[in-house]
Amino acid sequence: MSLVSLNILIADDNPSDRLLLKAMLSGLGHNVEVAEDGLEAIEKFDPDSTQLVCLDVVMPECDGLEAAIKIQEMSRGRFIPIVFLSGLSDTSSLVNCLKVGGSDFISKPFNLVLIAAKLDAIIRILSLQKTLESQRDKLSSYNEQLIHEQEVAKVVYENITHSNCLSDPCLNTFYYGHHLFNGDVILAAYKPNGGMHLLIGDFTGHGLSAAIGALPLADIFFEWTRKGFLMRQIVPEINRRLKAILPADMFCSALFVDINITDKTLEVWNGGLPDALFFSQRQKKPQPLVSHNLPLGIVAESEFTYSTEIVSFENGDSFLAWSDGIYEAIDSKGLMFSEYQLNSLIEGRVEVGDIMPWLRRKLETEGVLDSSHDDISCLKIELHDAIGVEQESSQDKAAELDMPSDFSFEYTLNADSLKNTDPLPYILQIIMTVSGLKRYSGQVFMMLSELYSNALEHGVLQLNSELKATNDGFVLYYMERETRLSTLETGFIRIKVSISSNEVGGLLSIELEDSGDGFDTSKVGLKLEDSDELYNRGLPLLGQLCQSITFSDKGNQVGVQYQWDK
Amino acid sequence: MIMQTQYDEKKHALVIQIEGRFDFSCHKAFKDAYSSVESNCKFELDMTKVTYVDSSALGMLLLLRDYAGGDQGEIVLSHCNDAVEKILRIANFDRLFSLH
Repeated sequence: MSLVSLNILIADDNPSDRLLLKAMLSGLGHNVEVAEDGLEAIEKFDPDSTQLVCLDVVMPECDGLEAAIKIQEMSRGRFIPIVFLSGLSDTSSLVNCLKVGGSDFISKPFNLVLIAAKLDAIIRILSLQKTLESQRDKLSSYNEQLIHEQEVAKVVYENITHSNCLSDPCLNTFYYGHHLFNGDVILAAYKPNGGMHLLIGDFTGHGLSAAIGALPLADIFFEWTRKGFLMRQIVPEINRRLKAILPADMFCSALFVDINITDKTLEVWNGGLPDALFFSQRQKKPQPLVSHNLPLGIVAESEFTYSTEIVSFENGDSFLAWSDGIYEAIDSKGLMFSEYQLNSLIEGRVEVGDIMPWLRRKLETEGVLDSSHDDISCLKIELHDAIGVEQESSQDKAAELDMPSDFSFEYTLNADSLKNTDPLPYILQIIMTVSGLKRYSGQVFMMLSELYSNALEHGVLQLNSELKATNDGFVLYYMERETRLSTLETGFIRIKVSISSNEVGGLLSIELEDSGDGFDTSKVGLKLEDSDELYNRGLPLLGQLCQSITFSDKGNQVGVQYQWDK
Repeated sequence: MIMQTQYDEKKHALVIQIEGRFDFSCHKAFKDAYSSVESNCKFELDMTKVTYVDSSALGMLLLLRDYAGGDQGEIVLSHCNDAVEKILRIANFDRLFSLH
């Protein structure tokens, strides 16, 4: 529709006024349509083409005021100016015209110069209106597109970050955020040999830009955990990948937790998140697990630190971690939430079973959520040595053809490789090429890792597991393990694997030989009931998993046989 | 947020004084402030009047660190209040910057 020549609708019951105005407006180059009263004006009004309506105030049937109201209803939100034609000059009737939505008056008798000037003004308003409308339409279609794209991205994002075991009954989480996407992630995955890996992370910033970094993070976390990599391998890898892809001002403050159910230990790597808390039933106050490392994605591999804390737990102990949103939060009085409210939690004055509801209540009643500018996430773990034990690997249930297989290999690691490699994920991958064994990957991995850590810790490194009898001993044990491993100069572990299988089942045998002195094999207790201690749980566990265990006379060689049926 | 920059001849350092909340809203002003000088300059951030830092401010500090040449750069954060210093220490930023 052109704005130089307007489509104008005139309604006036006075024929001479009607004709005169029509002639004047046509003369100015506009298209004019006429009506004899309000009713006819309403009939002829077309919101799609009419651009200006001129209404006489006093008309029979339906007067100008009524017609104006009706016409505006028909305009469906579009701005179509209405100008009243009037011989009246008293203030109240003119005010009434404006009140019902009129834009202006043209007073009778008509004055051509004034009418031309008024039409110019109206055209200016209309063209401004048109620009605004087209900008509004562009903006809203852009916004729609953006929301659509974000929703698609959100589905992908959630599929990746939520493909996890957060629904496990030992976990309890809550989250408060302000955007469709959040900068916080909580990831949890069962390890193939029981236990669990968890990560709580907080990316710089909020919204989509913060969520983008979570994708590679989650990818590595799940993939590497599934393949049997250890926390000390996964954390540096995540750091390396984030450092490579994130811009300099983006990073992820994170806390990684490894729940080890064989040793009943909890190992925590904290990089930039507030102290996590370990609630032992033996102590009144929780133990803080402090951030010793820079957040992920800031420094290069060579400067990256892997400094962790290890605690040993008993069934029923708990662990609590949160993102720094909770720490930086400010309550309705402008006070730091952490200092005034969290203290009673840190001092151990909150009933452990009630921590999560207590925290949520505090956050809601202290007005933190209204003034909070960061996402707030919180994770609680109820620790138990059965976490992740009963996990059948849910993947690849599809019936695969069990092809017969028959192969063996030997893998020897000497001192330098023992220091720097973890061979288990690679060995597991080779074993898992046997399709019938896939569903037993958890058990196979558990056997492998028990055998390997026995050979390494007791054989090669000559560590005494009696050290682990006390809580402090546990920590000492692992510190000693680190020291001895890093200074190791001689020693080896030889791993032999052979597999033969047919359509109905198969036999896997694993032999490990180490360079150590061996041990008195007559004292081996293979029953779990025999060992209530914190240590020496490895061998009985093996005994349960496989059909037979044999030791060499010296005790530095051990072989297990594992049979499976289809 | 108010930001003032001044070149201190004695210290041979660009002193950036930030007032109020140090968060994403400072992004442009902060970048303009440090990129007004050569990147081999020393920097001092006077945090006396900073009431709060959030994680995007930590990100901006990393940008400045990059600009100043990473490990080779000299950046001092001075006069942080307790709350601000706590946040910097949780993130272990005392390993990347000198806190005075």
